[in-house]
Amino acid sequence: MIRLLRIARREYLAYVRTFGFWLSLLLLPVGLSTIVIAPMAMMRSSPTPRVAVVDFTGDNLPAIVGRAIAQRGDGDKPRGIEVDAPGRPFASAADASARLKPFLQGDRTLPGGGRLDAVVIIRPAGDTVAIDFWSRNVAAGNLEHVISDAVTSEVRRARLRTMGLDPGALDRVEALSPVVSDFSPKAAAGKVAFKDRLPGLAGLGMGMLLWMVVLTGAGMLLNSVMEEKTSRILEVLLSSASVPQIMGGKILGVAAVTGTILAFWMTIATLLIALTSPGVVGDLVGVFASHGRWAYFALYFAGGYLMFATLYVTMGAFCETSREAQTLMGPMMIVMSVPLLFMSQALQHPDAPLLRTLTWVPLFTPFMMAARAASDPPLWEILATGAMMFAITGFELWVAVPAFKSGALATGRFDPRLFFASLTRRRAP
Amino acid sequence: MEAALVVDGVTKRYGAFTAVDDLSFTVRTGKILGFLGPNGAGKTTTVRMLLGLISPTAGQVSVLGETDPAKVRDRIGFLPEERGLYRRMTPVNAIAFLASLKGLPSAEGRRRARALLQSQDLGEFMNRPIRSLSKGMAQKVQLLSALVHEPDLVILDEPFSGLDPANQQALEDLIRGLARRGATVIFSTHVMQHAERLCDQVVLMARGRKVFDGTVETARAAAPRTLLLEGRFDASALDEMPGVAELTAATIEDGAIRVTAALKKGASSQDALRDAFARGLDILRFELREPHLHDAFLVLTGEEVSDQ
Repeated sequence: MIRLLRIARREYLAYVRTFGFWLSLLLLPVGLSTIVIAPMAMMRSSPTPRVAVVDFTGDNLPAIVGRAIAQRGDGDKPRGIEVDAPGRPFASAADASARLKPFLQGDRTLPGGGRLDAVVIIRPAGDTVAIDFWSRNVAAGNLEHVISDAVTSEVRRARLRTMGLDPGALDRVEALSPVVSDFSPKAAAGKVAFKDRLPGLAGLGMGMLLWMVVLTGAGMLLNSVMEEKTSRILEVLLSSASVPQIMGGKILGVAAVTGTILAFWMTIATLLIALTSPGVVGDLVGVFASHGRWAYFALYFAGGYLMFATLYVTMGAFCETSREAQTLMGPMMIVMSVPLLFMSQALQHPDAPLLRTLTWVPLFTPFMMAARAASDPPLWEILATGAMMFAITGFELWVAVPAFKSGALATGRFDPRLFFASLTRRRAP
Repeated sequence: MEAALVVDGVTKRYGAFTAVDDLSFTVRTGKILGFLGPNGAGKTTTVRMLLGLISPTAGQVSVLGETDPAKVRDRIGFLPEERGLYRRMTPVNAIAFLASLKGLPSAEGRRRARALLQSQDLGEFMNRPIRSLSKGMAQKVQLLSALVHEPDLVILDEPFSGLDPANQQALEDLIRGLARRGATVIFSTHVMQHAERLCDQVVLMARGRKVFDGTVETARAAAPRTLLLEGRFDASALDEMPGVAELTAATIEDGAIRVTAALKKGASSQDALRDAFARGLDILRFELREPHLHDAFLVLTGEEVSDQ
């Protein structure tokens, strides 16, 4: 056991001391933070757009527009500032657009200094009005919608007044909508709340997490064993420790590496959730604590990782080059992509017959069962799939020991015949 | 003196190919055994069986009194034929790690690693990554990692390959030192000179079979001694010389010739010399050459092997 731990420790330290480890550790939190913070920072740092309103209707719509854009939007800043249109009055909408265009192009500045960002030209159009929205930025859709909504509302109110109706009736009519409530016998209080959807999300999250751990760990294990075989270290290790100790040490060491990265990511994620939605953290803890889900997830996480890790360690012992490793990883990636496709389906239909069938395919079992956690599968199904998963892992270990030794001592290119022969030949080489 | 190693009727087959065929020999504790033969003779396969890395198809080995070498792996030091270490590790860490796998506490492993590296003039490189060391230095580090736990049995597979003459000499001294400490040393090689200088016992292998097992002197006795004569005479004059055979002649300089002849078993070189003088041959040089291990190998196996 102590040799296994020493090999695991060396494996762990070998990865932790690399630049790539720290890059992996920090990249996701930094990337996520950038995605969240960058738009807010841009919003705060960008100047409030100056908007000139030219009204040909005579209905005092510029004041309506001015009030609408003065409301605070993203970044707690006004959406815009209404400014007097330079050079007014204008003979027509075409005249206004022609004379104000140089201000939008930046060829001219406003009388008090500063640039003009948008021009709103409101003109009569039959029973309603037309709005020509000129902007320095062609993608400034948000401001256009705010102005359009404000003008539409005012036009409708004016029409109601001319019809002799109360304009407030419009607000009251618009406020009418049915009260919809979700109920489910699986919901704690009968009525479905976000808290009741959390088990499904947690299951999907754990399934995805396991998928990522397997994928990351697989690459590390395959490359680690391949490197040791190529540099002939494996032969020295085999003269000092047994195959189960070497395999176990590697699997444990890489598990610790991926565990460290995931623990760091999850801590950051928990802190972010705690800062933004404190109640959700408590709900999540409740999800894992109830129905013995922590044990449920631990079972499939440990079993799934062990099942794939054993397979990849053995495959690594047969590879001499990265190209050989890639030829083995390719088919495995195709197999691994199947549960990825179906896991998200479990969120809406955890008990769908196809998903239940896929659960019984050993290589998919840990992912599918994790994703189906919200449906609280019956105990017999948990016990049977758990037993099947560990039986497969046990069988893998049983054939992997001679296969690993055979691969580790062999030289030359990867030979599929040798690989499968050693898998089926129990006797040590 | 008890046997450190007993190989008893060991055979290893891979399908139809027999890598080692009915091999038997014994090595006594504290002795140096040379395991000799050309490439493909079955040396590495035998070494792997001694280490328990592979199992014999037939027969058995007893290593340090155990028929399962895995039980005594902590008492064995092993240097594989193809060398390799963790390139990003430092020599101290690499040696200490491999020592820890042999049961040494980490602190003790590091202490011994530092001492060994200092003793081999690698002190200033002990904390640099192995990838920055020269090939010779890296080989030394690997050798030290095989010896750091002070094993009772040291198995070195082609330890001299890749070493320059100075380091080969240093390694020979190291092997003698191990034997003086009481360790049993087995090394495989296809270069006979090292074995000739170092070994108490040699096992010669060819095509998976043992062709000789005994002392270097006994092995050399299997090959004939050689007479070398130089002078100005007709080579045919030596046809009747007593006790010589297989004459080969070559012209050297100023009309002189060099004749090499095998001295028959039991024949006296003095008789040959007397005969030459009796005939009045103009002899410039007369030399009796003792056979080398290389000559013995040729006689015993009929195969050529490296004579570097």
